[in-house]
Amino acid sequence: MRIKKKGTSGAAKNYITRTRAVKKLQISLPDFRRLCIFKGIYPREPRNKKKVSKGSTAATTFYYTKDIQYLLHEPLLNKFREHKTVAKKIGRALGRGEVGDAARLEKTHIPKIKLDHIIKERYPTFVDALRDLDDALSMIFLFANLPSTQHVPSKTIALCQRLAHEFEHYLIVSHSLRKSFLSIKGIYYQATIQGQDILWLVPYRFVQRTGGDIDFRIMGTFVEFYTTLLGFVNFRLYTSAGLVYPPKFNAKSDEMGGELGAFQLEGKGISKNDEPATNGEASTAVTSAIAQAEADKVADMIDPEEKKEDGALVQVDEEGNTDTIDKFEATAQDGDILPQPQASNAEIASLFASFTFYLSRETPRAPLEFILKAFGCKKVGWDGILGDGAFTTDESDPTITHQIIDRPSLPTESLPQVPNIPTPVDDGAAVPKAQWPRSTMPGRTYVQPQWVWDCINQGKLLRPDLYAPGAELPPHLSPWVKAKKGEYDPNLPLAEQELPGEAEAFEDEEEDAEFFEEEEAANEKDHNMDALAARDTSVEAGEGMDIAGSEDEIDEEDEEEEENDMAAAEEWDGIESDGESDLSDDEVAHRQHQRELEAEALGSVIEPTVATTKSKNAAIRKKADKKRREEEEERERQKMMLTNKKRKLIKRIEHGTKKRDVESEALRKKRRKIEKVKAAANAV
Amino acid sequence: MAPNPRKRKVVTRDAPQKADSEDELGLLEGILSHSEADSNDSDDDESSDGSSVIEGLSDEDEEDEEDEDDEYSAEDLDSDEVPTDGEEEIRKQIRNLSTTDRPLKNKSSKLTHENGFGIGEDRESESAQEDSELRPNYTVITDANGNERYIYQEIDPVYESDESDAPETTNTIGNIPLHYYDAYPHIGYDINGKKIMRPAKGEALDALLDSIDIPKGWTGLTDPETGKPLELSEEELDVLRKITRNEIPADGYDPYPDMVHYFTGHEEIMPLSAAPEPKRRFVPSKHEAKRVMKIVKAIREGRIKPYKPPAEEEEEDDDFRYDIWADEVPRPEYSMHIAAPKLPPPGYDASYHPPAEYLPDKHEKSTWLEADEEEREKEYLPTDHDALRKVPGYERFVKERFERSLDLYLAPRVRRNRLNIDPESLLPKLPSPDELRPFPTTCAVIFRGQEGRVRSVSVDPHGIFMASGGDDGYARIWEITTGRQLWNVKLSDEDAVDTVKWRPGKDASILAAAAGETVFLIVPFTILSPDIEQISRDLLDAGWGYAASKPSTTTNIAITKEPPAKWSRPGVRLESKGVLVQATVRSTIKVINWHRKGDYFATVSPRGQSSAVAIHTLSKHLTQLPFRRLKGLAQSAQFHPSKSIFFVATRNSIRSYDLAKQELVKILQPGAKWISSIDVHAGGDNIIVGTYDKRLLWHDLDLSTKPYRTLRYHQEAIRAVRYHPGGLPLFADASDDGSIQIFHGKVVGDLMENATIVPLKVLKGHKVKSRLGVMDVDWHPREPWCVSAGADGTSRLWN
Repeated sequence: MRIKKKGTSGAAKNYITRTRAVKKLQISLPDFRRLCIFKGIYPREPRNKKKVSKGSTAATTFYYTKDIQYLLHEPLLNKFREHKTVAKKIGRALGRGEVGDAARLEKTHIPKIKLDHIIKERYPTFVDALRDLDDALSMIFLFANLPSTQHVPSKTIALCQRLAHEFEHYLIVSHSLRKSFLSIKGIYYQATIQGQDILWLVPYRFVQRTGGDIDFRIMGTFVEFYTTLLGFVNFRLYTSAGLVYPPKFNAKSDEMGGELGAFQLEGKGISKNDEPATNGEASTAVTSAIAQAEADKVADMIDPEEKKEDGALVQVDEEGNTDTIDKFEATAQDGDILPQPQASNAEIASLFASFTFYLSRETPRAPLEFILKAFGCKKVGWDGILGDGAFTTDESDPTITHQIIDRPSLPTESLPQVPNIPTPVDDGAAVPKAQWPRSTMPGRTYVQPQWVWDCINQGKLLRPDLYAPGAELPPHLSPWVKAKKGEYDPNLPLAEQELPGEAEAFEDEEEDAEFFEEEEAANEKDHNMDALAARDTSVEAGEGMDIAGSEDEIDEEDEEEEENDMAAAEEWDGIESDGESDLSDDEVAHRQHQRELEAEALGSVIEPTVATTKSKNAAIRKKADKKRREEEEERERQKMMLTNKKRKLIKRIEHGTKKRDVESEALRKKRRKIEKVKAAANAV
Repeated sequence: MAPNPRKRKVVTRDAPQKADSEDELGLLEGILSHSEADSNDSDDDESSDGSSVIEGLSDEDEEDEEDEDDEYSAEDLDSDEVPTDGEEEIRKQIRNLSTTDRPLKNKSSKLTHENGFGIGEDRESESAQEDSELRPNYTVITDANGNERYIYQEIDPVYESDESDAPETTNTIGNIPLHYYDAYPHIGYDINGKKIMRPAKGEALDALLDSIDIPKGWTGLTDPETGKPLELSEEELDVLRKITRNEIPADGYDPYPDMVHYFTGHEEIMPLSAAPEPKRRFVPSKHEAKRVMKIVKAIREGRIKPYKPPAEEEEEDDDFRYDIWADEVPRPEYSMHIAAPKLPPPGYDASYHPPAEYLPDKHEKSTWLEADEEEREKEYLPTDHDALRKVPGYERFVKERFERSLDLYLAPRVRRNRLNIDPESLLPKLPSPDELRPFPTTCAVIFRGQEGRVRSVSVDPHGIFMASGGDDGYARIWEITTGRQLWNVKLSDEDAVDTVKWRPGKDASILAAAAGETVFLIVPFTILSPDIEQISRDLLDAGWGYAASKPSTTTNIAITKEPPAKWSRPGVRLESKGVLVQATVRSTIKVINWHRKGDYFATVSPRGQSSAVAIHTLSKHLTQLPFRRLKGLAQSAQFHPSKSIFFVATRNSIRSYDLAKQELVKILQPGAKWISSIDVHAGGDNIIVGTYDKRLLWHDLDLSTKPYRTLRYHQEAIRAVRYHPGGLPLFADASDDGSIQIFHGKVVGDLMENATIVPLKVLKGHKVKSRLGVMDVDWHPREPWCVSAGADGTSRLWN
């Protein structure tokens, strides 16, 4: 048998280092980078690095050889090479001082890179493209908000803006926006198109910090690819929704800050007359919206059986002519309960349909406009300062039902007097030009912007009084967090989630720490909460004075016990015998008795130790602690019997859960503290 | 030419020779002639195939030489004279060569001479050599032109004569008669060990040369124009010859003709044409002016644009003007593709107005701010803004996007399988703690009153007394339930009592204690009932006089050799306390272990090499040394609970010996560095081993020589290990970290099931003094109580 030569088969052949790949493709490293970005080729981690790199363990990037081979016949490679030759020529011309020549070369000879074939290649189906749209959208929305610089040409930015707005228009038309979340990073949106959840992040409108080690060439390459992708996606979406792509773009309106309003959507075949752009899309989009809703419904229903049932049901209900899914009520106990989509999407899609909104000057217009429209609102007006395309710029318009305000409420006296402008008398009756905060319009709801977000995330209209201007807002929660078992959930009351004995332990701790806290709190007066805490604790301390003596003793005992526990738990604490804890209980009783005896001898009457909250707590806690400890011990004992391998496995599994437990416990603790402070504040 | 002979060689081996000669007839003349020679030779000796090979080989040699000859002659042609008759010349030279090679023996002698072996055995060669020395080293012949030509003999290269390092074929066979090689195709070996082939014989060469019929005017060259062999006539050859000799090739040829000038460099005074320069050469062309004016007019009228601005670029709208997925065909992802993982959605703490509990407190905030950017668990700090208008821009936004894009194209993607195992399923089912009860949990009694460390404890078979021995040289007996000291005796003034051990069996009550080299057998009669005392005394006294009554065989040895132990009475003081017998061995005893019947006990004194392990017979007051030489330092020794097997633990192995057959049964390799103690389970199939390297090992003798379980729960060395003797599935170990650990160790009689070991309890209470904690541990014979000896001067009872 012939001895096989090393490095000729297997892993050594399957992987190729980046340097070798670049050499093989005969392009420069930046070009290689671009090619990889365009083609979506990424490095791989070989299972055994040593085998691949022939024994050396230096840190290197490996690619699949097959991937690189696949790059070899990429038409873009030739374009890159052509580009290189032209760049050389331009360089030469510039060197000679022939600027005109150079300009001509640049204008006519630089090859245009088209990525159509790559899009088709990477995303063979439309759904594939939708699946990969998260990053594309985030990037494009970021670039749409960037100022043009040397690295980022204004053309790119304009393109990004255009594509972003087009995409938003589609979402408005098809009502496929599902959720949104105001985070500290920006605004997250989630849309569901053809069953694919797309999540993207849009920054707040501020100048972005672009300093540091950010390479805009790489970002630019990505943007180049993503714009092509989103262009095709938009085309497909528009055509499937029966719209003309590209939509008509009103440059004048855009210059005046029209943004979304600068685009005018057209149905196929029908050329729309000059209806206002802001509400023009609605009528054309009716069919497509229904189609989208239908598609989503289909996508939501995973269970084929359910689908069948549903079909049968639709047939039955044909007279009723309802499109929605009916609620199934179980008639008997023994049947399985099949999951159903909760609320129909159409319902949520028309959440704001009957309202007219007015956005105050200080509110972020773009996201609000987008969201309100995406959830069915057709009439959104705003202050003229915020740009073109408003339904109305008149704040006193009587049709307005909701006004979104993000200003603190100030006492009326502190406001400067408005010079009395004589109102134009057209109708004969002088309309009072009363504006918030000076006065409220009757029949109009004033809310803060968060109301809109919370409404759409919960799929229903919430009480607006919680979100009234100047009110303390309820916390804004992420709609994507699904609390797992054992994880902290801020929606649920604390009592439902905490472990037995935890609350009592907390109370005791609080009381132990109260004196320290008092001092601290005294130092820190700026924070409201701590001040409240201090007040609260001082009250408690005063109350607890009379039983301090007995408490202290118990405390000491506790500590002792704890010490013992600590010592025992150090390495391996075997099984706690019942005897020991019994003994300690006995001891307590014994001491109690002893004390009584002593008191008798002295002739004084000892007050019967009141079952204070503290001692009760201690008892509960001790019980819970004991139980937990026993469980833990049992577990430890079991673990001790495992082989090393399994023990490590368990350790790894438990690491995650333990971390989660610790986190949620910390959260619960914090919440308890806050609730206590609040309760104290209420009491005061 | 080279590949041909080789090829031929191969052929001749397989095929009959005639066929092969015919086969290659048409190929080359040279080969043709060779094959003829071959066939001639093969006529001479057709004996074997080998011979033909020989011939072939020799032929090859010949050819090589011929080649050289050809070159040589060509050189001749160049340098010396032009041969008149080419054919003759060639033949002559070849013949010359062949003649020099002809006498085989001559050559060989020459070879030997070259080697420096001057003294040849062959007389003939000697004479030839002499001849060559006498004669002038050249011969004079007439060359082709009839001139004299000196042909020098080959230079005889003696060692000094030649400076060149050129390799030469030298026969290396040494000083042996050459006719030994007569039967072989070779005549010896060169310095590289390759065969030196026998040169061709004269007759063969002649035949070859005769067979070559050189035609008239043959030059050996080919005419490049016709492709046929170039034949030159006599005259042409003559011309060639003259040219080569720098002679005038033909008569009447003028080598230096006069030069004829065709053109002169001088400018003539008179031009060739006298016509004057025409006017048109000085007048602008009307035609050209017309054409220019035409263009000018066109430009003025705007028909021609002097600079055409390049066509405006078409907008890139066109890019997206078609449906790229019009004919979409789903393609299965290839198996190695890993889609980029999506970014996780934001959690509650990323909210602009999160629930208050998600906000970091002061400490968390400062740690986050102080931490390095890469080390932060979250890249943002949860912050609360009570209104949307107060939310600032996120300054890391672009950076995070950039990092994400880097991840997309730079980060290697690996598919990781998520562990989806329920940890509960991995845990073994253990007996519940209630099933494991009873076991000792608390310290019930502390036995105080000893000075220095307590080295050893032992509970008597009735379970009433506890004996202890310590550094103060006292052996003490305590009441186990009360902790009251009942009895004591000072056994030694200088030595500590290293070990105490009650004799098993309830009929009598005898305590064995060792201090220094001496074992004391004690009957503490003050605390015993009279009948038990009597039985005990009888047991001890039975041996007196046994040595005297013993036949002389042993005494003979005893005379020559020191007896392994001296049995004697300890003296009145001790005897009054109940110490009745003492036996002194050669070195300090550390361990005593009784046989189950109570007649024998083994002592171990680790320092006494050959006498390390001694077995004492109580009824005979006899001591035997079972091992003449023990491998390693003995640490402990114990009897098998039911069989006549004896376990000896050395520093890192445990050997079991069959005492009846007097042979080694098994060697256990616990893998420990230093064994401190062992104990054998009542069933006899399991051993626990405590080691100074903090390990407790459980050996199942049926399974393997390696430990079945290794338990490492101690932080310091383990001093003692002990099974519960009374049937409870418990064992305990004592360690220098001051703790005793109690384990449940259930041995099932069923061979299919291995022992279950469950850690139960850590008993802490002994104080660590000068790095010693608990020195010894012993179990109560029936109850789940254990007794420990601490270095802090106390013993404790745990129940």
